[in-house]
Amino acid sequence: MTDLRIGIVGTGAVGSRVARQLAGTSGVHVLLADYPGGTSDRVATSIGASVTVVGAMHEELGLDAVVLATPVPQVALAERFVLAGTSVVSVSDDRDDVWRLWGLDDLAKERGVTVVVGAGFAPGLSCLLARHAASSFASVDELHVYKHGTGGPACARQHHKALRSTAQIWRDGDWRSRAGGSGRELGWFPDPIGAHDCYNAELPDPFVLLRAFPDVGRISARLSATRRDRFTSRLPMLRKPHVEGALGALRVEVRGLRDGQRQAEVLGAIDRPAVAAGAVAAVAALRLAVPNTHPGTVALGDVRIDTTAFLADLAQRGVRAARFTGDHR
Amino acid sequence: MRRLGLAFLVAGLVAAVLRVRGKGGAPAQQGGWEELSFDQKP
Repeated sequence: MTDLRIGIVGTGAVGSRVARQLAGTSGVHVLLADYPGGTSDRVATSIGASVTVVGAMHEELGLDAVVLATPVPQVALAERFVLAGTSVVSVSDDRDDVWRLWGLDDLAKERGVTVVVGAGFAPGLSCLLARHAASSFASVDELHVYKHGTGGPACARQHHKALRSTAQIWRDGDWRSRAGGSGRELGWFPDPIGAHDCYNAELPDPFVLLRAFPDVGRISARLSATRRDRFTSRLPMLRKPHVEGALGALRVEVRGLRDGQRQAEVLGAIDRPAVAAGAVAAVAALRLAVPNTHPGTVALGDVRIDTTAFLADLAQRGVRAARFTGDHR
Repeated sequence: MRRLGLAFLVAGLVAAVLRVRGKGGAPAQQGGWEELSFDQKP
C-alpha cells in the first residue's frame, strides 16, 4: 500500500491523540508541526516510528491531507491549505470559526479538495450519533445535543467563553438567541457520568447539524455546567486550565416519526473528549479527506457519509456509543 | 439599622456561597444504556 502522508498542526491534547491514531494505522506516515508552546518532539518520541517532526507545515511536504488541531480560529490556516490543494480536517469547536470554515466551500470545490468541518467530540461525534439515530426514522423534526466535559486547555477556555456568550438555537426555520447559561435542562449521560444540569451556550453543533439536516425544525445544543461554572463564566479564567479534563460524555436526542408514531431515540458516548476527538479526526482524515470523494465542506452528519462504517471504525479504536433504553420524556 | 444591614449582607453572602456550591438533586433515571453494535441499525 502506498504511504499516505498526513500532516497534523498542533500537538496538544487532541493533536497528540490524532497522531497516535494515525501512526497506528498501516500505510500512514505522520508529519507533526507545533503551534507556539507545543510539544511535537515529545509526542513524536513517545509514538516512535512513522512520525516526523517538521518545523512548519506547508504544501511542499506533499501532504495527502492535514488535520488542524490548534486553538481556534483555524480558518486562516485552513484557507492556506485549501489554496495549496490539500484537504483539511478541522477540529474547531468555536461557532464563528466553524461558520467561516463553511465559507471555504466554493474555494474547496474549485480546488477539488475536502474540508471536514467540526471533526471532534462535539461537533463531530455528536453529529455522527445524530445521523445514526436518525437513520431509523421516516422523518426527523428535532435534534438536541448535550455535552459534558472538556479536552485540553484550549477546549476548557472555549467552554468558559461559550457559557457567557449568546447561544443560537434553530427553531421553525429561524435562528433564535438565548443567553448563555440559561435554559437549564437535566441531561442524563451514560454511566458513570449520570445526570448533570445543562445550559444554553455558544456552541457550533446546531450550525453543523443544520448543514447535515436542513429539513429539521428544531436543533439545540447544551453544555453541562455547575453553578460555579455559570457564576465564574462572566469573569476571566482565574487559574490556568488543567492539562486535560476528566471523563466527558455526549447525549444526542433525535425526535421524529417512526412506524407512524412520534418517537424519540437517544444515543450517547463516554470518553475523554480529547481522546474521542483525536479518533474522530483521524478517521475523518482517512475516510473523507484522503479519498477526497466529496470536494467542498463536509459535516460529519452529512447523509453522503457512511455513518455506520465510520462509527464501527471508531468503536474499533475504542470510542464506543450507547443507546438509552428507558422511558423518554 | 446598621446591624440589620450587616445581618442581611452576611445572610446574602452565605446564601450566595451555598447557591454557587450546591449540587441540587436529580430524579431517578427510568432505564439504562446499552452499548451499540454497529453491525446493525438502531
